[in-house]
Amino acid sequence: MILVFRLAWRELRGMFRGSARGLGVVLACLALGVAVIAGVGTLREATDRGIAQDGRRILGGDLEVDGGSQPLPDSLRGWLAARGARVSDIVRMRSMLIKANGNGSSDDRLLVELKAVDQAWPMVGEAVLVPPGTVAGALANHGLLAERVVLDRLGLKPGDSVRLGNASFTVRGELRVEPDRIATPSILGPRVLIGADTLPSTGLIVPGSMVQHAMRVLDPKGTDPAAFAADLRAAFAGQGWRIRDPGNAAPGVGRFIDQTGQFMTLVGLTALLVGGIGVANGVRAWLEARAGSIAILRCLGASARTVFAVYLVQVLAFSAIGIAIGVVAGSVLPILAGPLLRDVLPVPPVAGIYPAPLALASLFGLLTAFAFSLPALGRAMQIPGASLFRDPTSPTEAKIPREILAATATIAVILAALAVLSSPERVLSGYFCAAAVATLALFELGGWALTAAARAAPHSHLPWLRLGLANLHRPGAPTRLMLVSIGLGLSTLAAVALIQANVRREILDQIPENAPSFFFIDIQQDQLAKFEALLAAQPGVAPAQTVPNLRARVVAVKGVPVERLHVSPETQWALRGDRGLTYAAAMPAGTHLTAGAWWPANYTGKPLISFDAGLAKGWGVGIGDVIRVNVLGRDIDLTIASLRDIAWRSLSINFAMVASPGFLEGAPHGFIATVRVPEAQQARLLRSVTDALPNVTGIRVEDVLQAVAALLDRIATALSATGSLTLLSGALVLVGAVAAGQRRRMRDAVILKTLGASRGQIRAAWLVEFGVIGLAAGAIAALVGSAASYGVVRFVMNTAWVFLPGTLGLTLLLCVTAMLVIGYWGTEAALRAKPASWLRNE
Amino acid sequence: MDDLHPATTPHHSPAAEQPVARAAEQPYIRVRDLRLTLPSPAGPVNILRGIDLDVAAGEAVGIVGPSGSGKTSLLMVLAGLERASAGSVRLGGREITGMDEDALARLRRDSVGIVFQAFHLIPTMNALENVAVPMELAGRRDAAARAAEALAAVGLGHRLTHLPGQLSGGEQQRVALARAFAPRPRLLLADEPTGNLDQATGEAVMDLLFDLRAKSGATLLLITHDARLAASCSRRVHIADGRVLADEKVIA
Repeated sequence: MILVFRLAWRELRGMFRGSARGLGVVLACLALGVAVIAGVGTLREATDRGIAQDGRRILGGDLEVDGGSQPLPDSLRGWLAARGARVSDIVRMRSMLIKANGNGSSDDRLLVELKAVDQAWPMVGEAVLVPPGTVAGALANHGLLAERVVLDRLGLKPGDSVRLGNASFTVRGELRVEPDRIATPSILGPRVLIGADTLPSTGLIVPGSMVQHAMRVLDPKGTDPAAFAADLRAAFAGQGWRIRDPGNAAPGVGRFIDQTGQFMTLVGLTALLVGGIGVANGVRAWLEARAGSIAILRCLGASARTVFAVYLVQVLAFSAIGIAIGVVAGSVLPILAGPLLRDVLPVPPVAGIYPAPLALASLFGLLTAFAFSLPALGRAMQIPGASLFRDPTSPTEAKIPREILAATATIAVILAALAVLSSPERVLSGYFCAAAVATLALFELGGWALTAAARAAPHSHLPWLRLGLANLHRPGAPTRLMLVSIGLGLSTLAAVALIQANVRREILDQIPENAPSFFFIDIQQDQLAKFEALLAAQPGVAPAQTVPNLRARVVAVKGVPVERLHVSPETQWALRGDRGLTYAAAMPAGTHLTAGAWWPANYTGKPLISFDAGLAKGWGVGIGDVIRVNVLGRDIDLTIASLRDIAWRSLSINFAMVASPGFLEGAPHGFIATVRVPEAQQARLLRSVTDALPNVTGIRVEDVLQAVAALLDRIATALSATGSLTLLSGALVLVGAVAAGQRRRMRDAVILKTLGASRGQIRAAWLVEFGVIGLAAGAIAALVGSAASYGVVRFVMNTAWVFLPGTLGLTLLLCVTAMLVIGYWGTEAALRAKPASWLRNE
Repeated sequence: MDDLHPATTPHHSPAAEQPVARAAEQPYIRVRDLRLTLPSPAGPVNILRGIDLDVAAGEAVGIVGPSGSGKTSLLMVLAGLERASAGSVRLGGREITGMDEDALARLRRDSVGIVFQAFHLIPTMNALENVAVPMELAGRRDAAARAAEALAAVGLGHRLTHLPGQLSGGEQQRVALARAFAPRPRLLLADEPTGNLDQATGEAVMDLLFDLRAKSGATLLLITHDARLAASCSRRVHIADGRVLADEKVIA
């Protein structure tokens, strides 16, 4: 054993002095792949840690009691006060912020997320105002603070007057830091802050308005937070409130980070896979250069096993260095990139060394190094001593020993298992592994087909074309290697680009023909007539579709309280917060029932609902099951009478729950209206409605879709950036392959020149060679990218997929260009080779 | 050996002197004060120090001299593979020292065949492809047919699809001969063509070389250590230390 290390060290020692061709690529490939995975993992952990560490800040206290649309009762306040807890009340809703004495143009009003806070806010963290001041001071006397974007969009400065509902406010400045807010892009409008005492004067809170009341609690000193929360829950059981603690401050955000992180990890694994190919190739090239030494060792009495061990030790030594570089880069880069990512991440990541993701990345790197270097090592151990006496120009390709093949397969399976088991989304990761294997096979097949086609190609009279094509199928030509190394990275980028383009198209370009332009919310029963009249007064506006809108919160499903309910991750969202609930006697037009039947028009029996079929599947409920909801503080048991397929994409009013008539009409509630109006008249309509009905909020569908698309673009950018690293890894492998073939290229160039080839002919031949490989790699990458994007768009995002030739064309172009650039680089170097020095007799 | 090459006999008779006489008017190769200085780690090295040489069309010249005397360098310069530092080199009346790389390549393609000691076949091309390359480069549509013919002429008609690695040394050199002669060059440059071969094989290859030369009438410049081979040429030029030491007609 010691002998093995001694022999390994002697060779390594030589390499450290200079010639480590081949293993340099191994090192770089592993470092890059490990760095990506370690970096993504670290960033994810650091962000999770950020959310956990900032849980109290994000929550705004030790506990938050979310009462939904109902104000929290004095009994709760009393209970908390009696125990010495401090509380702060928050009201959140959407509203229109209107610039006073605006110029009457379309940009004098803005949909905002309004937050009304009391004097105690913020109980945790500090709000930062510009100009500096206290929150209480700024909000006093109908003062108002707003996010920068609000001030910019409406052209507001401190001292300006604005209107919210019926009340006038004075802008006091910018709310630069809002401690209890997660930095997610605002889909439904940026933040505006006012004092809770001024809220009633706005007239925005009307029966049934879409508003959220919450109370933040600071535990009394010396209490156990868990026990206190348990006491609170027990004392107010059955109220239908959500009581959250800092560990659960931002559940939606946690899931968002998990999913984005998951996709980035998969892309990172692709980079490592490409790196693995680089490892395989680098190790092979390096061992080929050592074939002489190996044969000498065998002649001197080393066993095949000794040879295997000696070279395995060296490969592992280099791999370890590569992995170490990757781990260091992966742990440091997120810290350095943190400030750049401030706008992208919901919370600032907590800088630090996170051993778990680093260990996982190292393990991935090590397994990759093993899996991809074993075959070449297995071949090397078969080199017989007698090969010293044979013609070195015709090396016999040794068979890989069976036990090495078995070991390689085992490690590959472990690698796949690790990828699946370490992932929160195992099914997705499983599909990824299968897709990776299929992709590798596809490139292998493509390489084989390309070589065969080049061989079978009819003889051209153009010598450079013939030479170029012949280069593809010459013995030992690295065609397949080049194909896969550039192709995998491009497949990843093509997939990401296609997913992004498809989703964007789905959101922005595919707005259904009859999709509404506006949602108007919080219309009161007595305002309906006036609302209709306003619409009628505007030419070109179709009659509105108006639906009663109540807020309901799911309390229990089939008798199981929501807190203890296990539902599929995709349907988790519907259990959080308030859901829309409406009622209808007749089945709305366009409804597609998948089970059960609609109630008769004159139905007056026990409360029934028609429920969303997708949610029903995720919750495991069906016809006859009971969902208990809390509406305006009252629990109601709703029996599922039918299931509907909801086309959420239609953008018309879709309620997950439609109740039977008779029991909700009496409850105070508002109405939602959708209005379709030509683009040119949208601003006027919004102005006339929100001026006449100040409590009504208009949401422009186009704005929301743009905001969603912008959010998706950010995710796509993160994925593309990670995907670019795969391409970089592929380029490394490719450059390595070209460099390895450089001697052959120079020799060919010299002989061809000697035989009378012009530099133009040699250049053209090599450009044909690289161009054809680029074209083939691009074609396969386009195929793989399409298939992968189809899978993700169709089955993960559940939307329609279309073929986007433009995006694919770009992929192809990129591929050919990359190949030609690298090919040109290699060709020019070969053309500079001096013939005389090559041709002289040695 | 001579009895095998009846076609070469004119060069061994006094009649062979005629080209030398004509060379004064229009020699095929005309070298004047050729100098070649190459850089080396120890400073510039003067490889060729003023060579003057005239070779008539159809003449066969053996170039002899000790290792390092500049024989191969002279051949490289004549082939346009090495650039002269000073002096003049004319091939078929054209000055080649000022030609650019591609013009030199065209010149080789159209009128110069080269045979090396180390064969220098492209290892990833089979015999037929190797021989066809220069003709393909010249855009000849009958390249493959002529290559096959040339290989048959060197006795390798049955080895067309073999890769160089699958051929013996002698066979490889015969492929190289076919490659050099197939385009029917006016000048053939050979650098120790038997240096890597055993004696019997070497002799067979040389027989073939002289035979092909005789049939094509090409001018031959043959670098060799072998006095017997040099004697097969009509003229022997002795080079030492970068200069022509002796230039003598061979009397067979």
